Amino acid sequence: MSFRPELIAWLAALTLASFACRAAGFWLMRFVTMTPRLAAAQRAAPLCVMVGLVVPTALQGRLAESVGLAVVVLIARLTGSDLSAALAGVAAVALVRAL
Amino acid sequence: MAPARPPQAREIFSRAGFWRGFMAAQPIAFGLIAYAVAFGLLASAAGWSALEAVLMSATVFSGSAQVASVGGWASGAGIGAVVVTVLMLNSRYTLLGAALRPWLGQASTVQAYASLHVMGDANWALSMRAHAAGESDAAFLFGSGLATFLPWICGTLVGAAIGDVFARPEALGLDFLLVAFCAAMAVGMVKTDSDLKPLLAAVIAAAAVHLAGFTGWSAVAAGLAGMATAWFSAEPTS
Repeated sequence: MSFRPELIAWLAALTLASFACRAAGFWLMRFVTMTPRLAAAQRAAPLCVMVGLVVPTALQGRLAESVGLAVVVLIARLTGSDLSAALAGVAAVALVRAL
Repeated sequence: MAPARPPQAREIFSRAGFWRGFMAAQPIAFGLIAYAVAFGLLASAAGWSALEAVLMSATVFSGSAQVASVGGWASGAGIGAVVVTVLMLNSRYTLLGAALRPWLGQASTVQAYASLHVMGDANWALSMRAHAAGESDAAFLFGSGLATFLPWICGTLVGAAIGDVFARPEALGLDFLLVAFCAAMAVGMVKTDSDLKPLLAAVIAAAAVHLAGFTGWSAVAAGLAGMATAWFSAEPTS
């Protein structure tokens, strides 16, 4: 097993960021009141960040990835299982690349 | 395994409460294994060693944040962009933590923040339900969280070890697993029509930032645009 030293700063920063979110709500509730707008913005965040991670790949317009994304969306809508959808998308990409 | 005996004197953070949470979370923990293996696989496909992947699982302990971080590292995004992405992805945890304040606030500082580190969406929901049904011991949250933490670590290790076997992960499409997971999670997160406006704003912002050449910042732009849209779409007061 190897470990890249340059990753240490990364992991430390990410650990802090992740833990800050977990601790902040618990800690801040001593001072801040939750509003419907704040709650709506926080609810929207995960979906929008996930979409932002997909968009660059979608914009590349390569055949295998485009077919893969279509399969992922279709299976996720049909089954409601994100794990099955992701694996089906991977299988689709592998298939198109092999053809 | 202590039986689910309702305590006579009210326990705040006891071993029995811990085990009640740990056992109650076993179905959730079992369901997590496949996800952890998938993360190990995609980290391996992105060139991470098993040690690196496991270390990230133990410290960040958030599936979506870990997937986004590995993606950011792979796309050459700077640490700033990835940290902001993680902050936005995990900002929902502030809501979960805030709801825990009246209950978890009775435990000691170390107990409370250790419980928050191993908290996830599923064991939080489980614990809140148990609390509403009369569970008063705050160690229930720590027990249920640790029950999900352990399979998360083990699954990551297994996935990374399997991934290391493949010399050409792209032939199996494994390099696509990361984006595939993001897309699948996004589909599952669209629950009501009120999600559509932020979604549209996110797509436009991400596309604009990507086409402008700011590699690695599309997730940040999408998150900020979507959060702002949701903020202004919501009623100002309840």
